[in-house]
Formats: sequence, structure tokens, C-alpha cells
Amino acid sequence: MSTKDEILQKLRSNTREQYEMPDLSQLTPITFDDPVAEFIRKTTTIAGAKLLEMKADDSLDAVVHKAYPDAKIIASNIPGVKAQLNPDTATVEELEKADVGVIEGKIGVAENACVWIPQAMKERAVCFASEQLVIVVHRDAIVNNMHEAYARIAASQEYFQEYKFGTFISGPSKTADIEGALVYGAQAARGATVVLV
Amino acid sequence: MSTRHSKAAEAYQQKPEVVEHHDNTFFGVRQKRDRMAQALPEWEDLRNAANQIKRHTITHLADYLEQFEANAIKNGVHVYWAKDADEYNAIVYDILSSHNVRKVVKSKSMLTEECHLNENLEAKGIDVIETDLGERILQMMKLAPSHIVMPALHVHREDIGDTFRKLIPNYDEIVKGYRAVGGSATDENDPTFLTYVARMHLRQQFMEADAGMTGANFGVASTGDVVVCTNEGNADMSTAIPQLHIVSMGIEKLIPDYAAVAVFQRLLARNGTGQETTVYTSHFRGPRPGGEMHIVLVDNGRSSILGNVEHWQTLKCMRCGACMNTCPVYRRSAGYSYTYFIPGPIGINLGMLRNPREYSDNVSACSLCCSCDNVCPVQVDLSSQVYRWRQQLDALGKADAMKKTMSRGMSMLFNHPKLYTSALRLSPIVNWMPGFVVQSSLNPWAYGHQMMKFPKKSFHELWKELRD
Repeated sequence: MSTKDEILQKLRSNTREQYEMPDLSQLTPITFDDPVAEFIRKTTTIAGAKLLEMKADDSLDAVVHKAYPDAKIIASNIPGVKAQLNPDTATVEELEKADVGVIEGKIGVAENACVWIPQAMKERAVCFASEQLVIVVHRDAIVNNMHEAYARIAASQEYFQEYKFGTFISGPSKTADIEGALVYGAQAARGATVVLV
Repeated sequence: MSTRHSKAAEAYQQKPEVVEHHDNTFFGVRQKRDRMAQALPEWEDLRNAANQIKRHTITHLADYLEQFEANAIKNGVHVYWAKDADEYNAIVYDILSSHNVRKVVKSKSMLTEECHLNENLEAKGIDVIETDLGERILQMMKLAPSHIVMPALHVHREDIGDTFRKLIPNYDEIVKGYRAVGGSATDENDPTFLTYVARMHLRQQFMEADAGMTGANFGVASTGDVVVCTNEGNADMSTAIPQLHIVSMGIEKLIPDYAAVAVFQRLLARNGTGQETTVYTSHFRGPRPGGEMHIVLVDNGRSSILGNVEHWQTLKCMRCGACMNTCPVYRRSAGYSYTYFIPGPIGINLGMLRNPREYSDNVSACSLCCSCDNVCPVQVDLSSQVYRWRQQLDALGKADAMKKTMSRGMSMLFNHPKLYTSALRLSPIVNWMPGFVVQSSLNPWAYGHQMMKFPKKSFHELWKELRD
């Protein structure tokens, strides 16, 4: 018998009473009167990110360059963003040197400032290895809580197609591993700006 | 009382300022968790849901594992099954050696600690680099984790600084770079500065590594996703740079679908560290373009735990660490006082399930205050389980001789009403005994606190008087 069959058989013979899956539609999770305002508040407080609201006649490229005037290497494959590196064609070694990565989020979550970022580039290193991260998300895409976010992802055919990865990001990388002192910029982005379109 | 835990805890008490700092640090995390709980009106409903989802999944685990495996294979992932630590270590080594891996970067995984993977790979000449900052500090200092979520909080910044200066070869170069980006580096043990040093040191490791290893916070049966939650982004760096990704996953980590992920994602960080979310919640569904993804499903005793009527619900645990943070014994005795590698209430129970004879010293590390039961997000009855283990100590030959004698004495007293009444009447005599007798080491109840004053009249006598 294979190890797999052995494990499965043991699990089946050791299972006594079986329990039903609860009806999760009965949960009434927290909602907000103004989810966008809550998303902005959480992004700039608990997540430790900056937030810029883009106006109708702003260009994303101008917003990025204004936010990071000293950036020498910008990495992005978003049309209209003038970038030195394109994560569809650049190597991981090149992307690791990027000053700013500009990526697109598809869902923003008000309760915890998470932004859903499905991989939309060949090398996802741009999402993590860039010194600074810019996440662009549409204000219509803000939901109240993670239940709503996961329900949207589960219902969509859009994600995990070309690239089998997606991540929620809430602000810059952080750690409190040295004596509990909060420090931004552990391994991944040292700072983050969320651009609300 | 003479378990290895109680002796180690006693030694730990010799530095009251260290104990107080440890206690305050982790009680602070507990209080942050409380603020998270109070901010959500649905908190108890979430705990109920999490308990029910886990109970359901664990009692249908074989079916969910088959579903998970089928989906993972469809996604282009290689799936392996390991019945114990030896099989697991051999599988991982095979994957690494067949890809000529010399160096592997690793994000935190308690399962690899359980199976002693690092020692195994290192003995075979593979360089293993922990990338979680706390774990990396411990690895460089050759120390074991003292907590499952915040493994190095007991280490002082001066010692971390010394370790970095001694063991990071390009330390001086990193300091120069820090000044170039505007850092002052005047305090060479400042946490912000030390984190930068570690960042640059680990960047180099990510770039040099041939493979990345992660654990799994959750496996999603309906999609084949592996979900990994970190604050540092080290799991993502470990898997976005090297082309080969190996996941180590205990079979109890499965949950059915995305609706369940939502419940657990919301509970994990709130309970573990008192945050609304971890910074990164990453869903790994398949290999990177041109890369490979391997998942090793590990049993190592879990299927036996399922058959244990009194203790199977420990399988619901999602390793958030909330039970440690709230435990008054953990907070005041710290991780190294326990003899199992996972400390605190869940560690006591997991140790007993691993090997009751070897790890029975930890069951004394519980005051039965039940605080862990009340915080556990999946409602594991941790303290009741500790209580049940204690009832089995005699059968294991591990019962405390003094307590056994006292139990026999008490049983005699309580079964003989006349004897009990005379003993009660005589008890105030203790009040007149000199302190050196009452407070002596022969009386364990007097250790660490004043002996109580026996009242002149017992409750029985007062009750009789009132009634008459």
C-alpha cells in the first residue's frame, strides 16, 4: 500500500462522529457606512502606507513621479507608466534593484487595508523586492471585509488563469522581531503608497 | 513539585526583571488581541464558525485531502505524502538534490522544526537559511524558538547586534550603505538599524538560493491553493526569486474553500499578534513561469491523534500562539522552561500526543485557569485536555509521589466524617506553630507565598451555630 493510501485509510478508520459544515451565510460580518473612507483610514494608520487620491485629469505616471521624485528605476507593466523595467521581460536580478514597483490591485478591503493583487506579470518579484511599492486600486473596488473579498475572488473567472498566484497586501513589509519594536521594511517593500483611482 | 518544567521555571525566576519584561511583552500582545476582539461585533460567531469548520474538515479529512491533491496536480504541482518525519526529510532531500540545490531559503514552518529538517539537510551538505527575522537571529545564535509566532522576543538587542557584527561577513559594507540612504547608525543596536542589516544580509541569501521553502497556514481543498501569511514578506521573497518552491504542510491544515479562508484569515493575525491582518496573505496555486512547485503532505502522527477520543480536537489548532500569550504560566516561565519545542498550553498537549513519557514534565505548567480555552479562536479545550493528561500520569508512572500520598490522605479524611471534623477543629493549631516549621520546604504550599491563617471556627461550626 502506498503512503498516501495508508494515511487515508488510517484517517477514515480513526474518524468516528462526523460534523456538518456550518452555514457561513449566517455570519453577519462588520460593514461600514463609508467603506472607502474606512479603507483610507486603515491604509494610512494600521497598514502604515501613504494614500493618494487621483483626480480625474491626473495621469498615473505623473502621480508616481511626483510621489517618488528621486526614483531612478521604476518597474511596471501598467500602460502609461514610464518605467525603466518591465516585469514581463526583466529578470529577477534586475527587478531586485528597482526603487519603485507600480502594480495594480483589484479589490480593496476596508476592515484591514488589504488589497488583492492577482499576479499580472511574468515576474512577481516586482510586488515584493522593490524598495517602494505603489498599488493602484479603483475606489469602486472597495469592499467591507474579507468575506466579501473572498466571495468576489471565488466567483470570478479572472484570477489564477495565466499566473497561478495572488496575494493580499496591506502596506509595507514590517517586523517586530527585535524586542517587539515595530520596524518597516523587513524583507520586502520598505514603504508603500496606495493610489485610489 | 519537581517536574523539569517547574525546575526550569524556578531557575527562570532568579531574574525577576527578565520575568517581568517577558510577562509584560506577551500580556501586551494578549491585550492587543482583546482590542481586536472588542472591535468586531461578530467575534464569537467567528470563533464558533472556525471551530465548526475545523471540526467538519478534520472529520472529513481523507475526502478533502483527495480533493486538494487532485486540484494541486491539475494546477501543475507535484504532490508527495509522508507518513513520518523520516519520509518527509527524505522526500525534501530528494527534490533538492535532484535539482542540484546548494542553498535553500526558508520561511517559518513549525512542521520543519517538528521533523528536524534543517539539521537533516545541513548534515547532507545543503545550506539552509531561515528568512523570518526572528528565526534567522535564532539560527545564527544557535538557539531554539521560544514562541511559535514571535520566536526571538526573549533575545536582547545587544546580543543580536553582537551576533550580526560577528557573523555577517559584509557587515561594514552594509553599514556604509545604510549611511548612504540617510541612516545615522549611531546606535549600532537600534532595532531599525539591525533590521536594515538583516534585510541586506537576507537579500543576498534570496539571490543566491536555488530553492525556496515555505510552510502553509492553510490549504484550500476546492482550489488546491496553499495560503501563507507573513508580515515581513519573506515567504514571498523566498518564492518570487528562486524558481523551485517546496511547501511543507501538515495534513490538518486543510480547509474546504474560500468562504472558510475568509474566516481564518480574519482570525489568524487578530489572535496571533493583535493585528487586523498580516501584511501579506499569499495564495500559491501553481508554479511560476518556468518554475516548479512541490507540496509535501505530512502525517507524522496526525492521523493517530484523530483516533484519540479525548484529544483529537487539538488538530483544529492553527498555531496562532494566542494560548501562549494569555497563559500566566507561559508568560512567567518562558518558552525554554518547556521540554517540547512548542511551549504553552497547545505545546503541553501536542507534546503529550507526540510522546507522553518523554514530555509529561510539561503538564504541571498549567494552573487550570482556563484562560487559553476562552481565547482559542478554534475553541480547543486546552486546559481540560491538560487536566485529562494529569489523570493519566499515574498510569504512565509519572505521578508525583508527594501528591499521591497527599491524595491518599485527603481521600481518607473526606471518607471519614469524624476524622474530618476533628482535623478541622485542630487546624488552627497551625497558626501557633513557629514560621520556620510552617514555611519550611516540607510544606510546598508555603513556597512563594505566606501560609494561610486557619480561622478559629470552621464553616461547619458557624453554620450549625447560625442554624440553631
